[in-house]
Amino acid sequence: MTFAIDLLQLLVIVGAAPLLSGVVGRIKARIQNRRGASIFRPYAELRKLFGKEDLVPPTASPLFRLCPVVLFAATLAAAAFIPALHASALLGNTGDFILLVYLLALARFFLILGAMDGGSSFGGMGASREALVSTLAEAPLLLGLVAVSIVAHSTSVTSIVRWAIGRHLFQLSPVHALAFVALALVAIAETGRVPVDNPTTHLELTMIHEAMVLEYSGPSLALIEWANAIKLNLMLALLIALFAPWGIASSASISALAVAAVAYVLKMAVLAISLAVLESSVAKLRMYRVPDLLGVACALSILAVAFTALRR
Amino acid sequence: MGLVEFAAAKTLASSAVFLFITVLLIAAATRTSTCIVLFAAQCAVITMQVVAMAYLHRSGEALVVAAMVLLVKVLAIPYALLRIRNRLNVPADISASTTAAQSVYIAAALILLAFAVVQPYARAFALDSEMLAVATALVLTGAFLMVSRKKALMQVIGLLVLENGIFLAALTTTFGMPLVIEMGIFFDLLMCVLLMGVFVFRIRDTFEHVDVSRLRRLRG
Repeated sequence: MTFAIDLLQLLVIVGAAPLLSGVVGRIKARIQNRRGASIFRPYAELRKLFGKEDLVPPTASPLFRLCPVVLFAATLAAAAFIPALHASALLGNTGDFILLVYLLALARFFLILGAMDGGSSFGGMGASREALVSTLAEAPLLLGLVAVSIVAHSTSVTSIVRWAIGRHLFQLSPVHALAFVALALVAIAETGRVPVDNPTTHLELTMIHEAMVLEYSGPSLALIEWANAIKLNLMLALLIALFAPWGIASSASISALAVAAVAYVLKMAVLAISLAVLESSVAKLRMYRVPDLLGVACALSILAVAFTALRR
Repeated sequence: MGLVEFAAAKTLASSAVFLFITVLLIAAATRTSTCIVLFAAQCAVITMQVVAMAYLHRSGEALVVAAMVLLVKVLAIPYALLRIRNRLNVPADISASTTAAQSVYIAAALILLAFAVVQPYARAFALDSEMLAVATALVLTGAFLMVSRKKALMQVIGLLVLENGIFLAALTTTFGMPLVIEMGIFFDLLMCVLLMGVFVFRIRDTFEHVDVSRLRRLRG
């Protein structure tokens, strides 16, 4: 029974990921006074790409085709750590948040490899920028999670969630508030949203993610785009699970799961709207200012860890 | 009934967190307008705190103080500062001498320092160490903002943050000063902001900028 629920949960994170991107895009369009595309457009795009031929540059090695597959697989495995509806996860007992963080790092590593293998100068440029951003984002991401796990006395994401469900809003400490701000900043950087990277632009001087996938086409591109959408959904679901888990079912009854589903949709909607508002109201940072933003996240997460010692 | 009391107690307990976050964000902000809005948010947290305290101690005086904090610090001063900023017509950045990340690291270090410093006092006088630490941290970061920001307007904000710290320290140690003194302080504060506003305009008119680090030379 729990296995079925865990599988369903994974399917929700993976399957609803393009929908989330579509919804964010639609809200952004509305804020900018455009009508915007249908919220199901990302699905149509994935279908179209999967039906196309996969073009490989003549200079590329077999690695070029392998990278999107590894990227997708690693992201999928990371998604299996996230409790979305029920306080358990498919791989919840297999690994802790450190594995989760480095599965995402593995995915990014192969994306960078693939981009450099493509042989275009944009790929290399995007790859070096991605490497910079991810290096700077790794410390605050890990430290933020460490702070939360010290408070919850567990490194497993599912036990942290189970611990947090038992508390109410006011029992969460300064540690949580600081770690939340840090992780939210990291989530923006990790998923390539506006202040750090612009997911809609094709202007080669400013882009990070788009520059890396420039050489990809067909099913490979579909896998990369899907993995990217999953990553956004995953980071937001992780934020919800760690900092606002109320509503997530702790028992496997149908009614509890229904409540959990409604709560999940509502919380995702709140996050999607705030993301869209943020993306429409903030200008993209210059590349040299990105370390500043992530430095702020890092300082906040260090302070969060320091607070765990003060609160004994 | 129990719920309201519980919420009031918890507002008191968790307001420290929000104050920490506002002060860290002020240190991180790179625009004067963001700083002003964050200052208003900080004062709103303090208002909530005073209201919660008034409710828990059944004190009408504290409610008056809360209303004055709301009127003067959340509404009047930020409004005046925003108007000054708009009319000054100078670039929006704060031109700090440290980067945003460095400022946050320094502010974080000051917060930890404040925690370390207030522990013996909190233990000796049986006070809430967290609130006392917040008050000290606000004083320290306010002073830090004043020395590290070059724009004259940011120094006003630094002073106001510092004053918030002193207000909070009075609130935690002696449950606020007498109402008459409190009113006097608020009036002084308002006058102070207005005077500094005039002063900033004079700096701009004389030197054509508001960068205090360039005020090296006397000019007639």
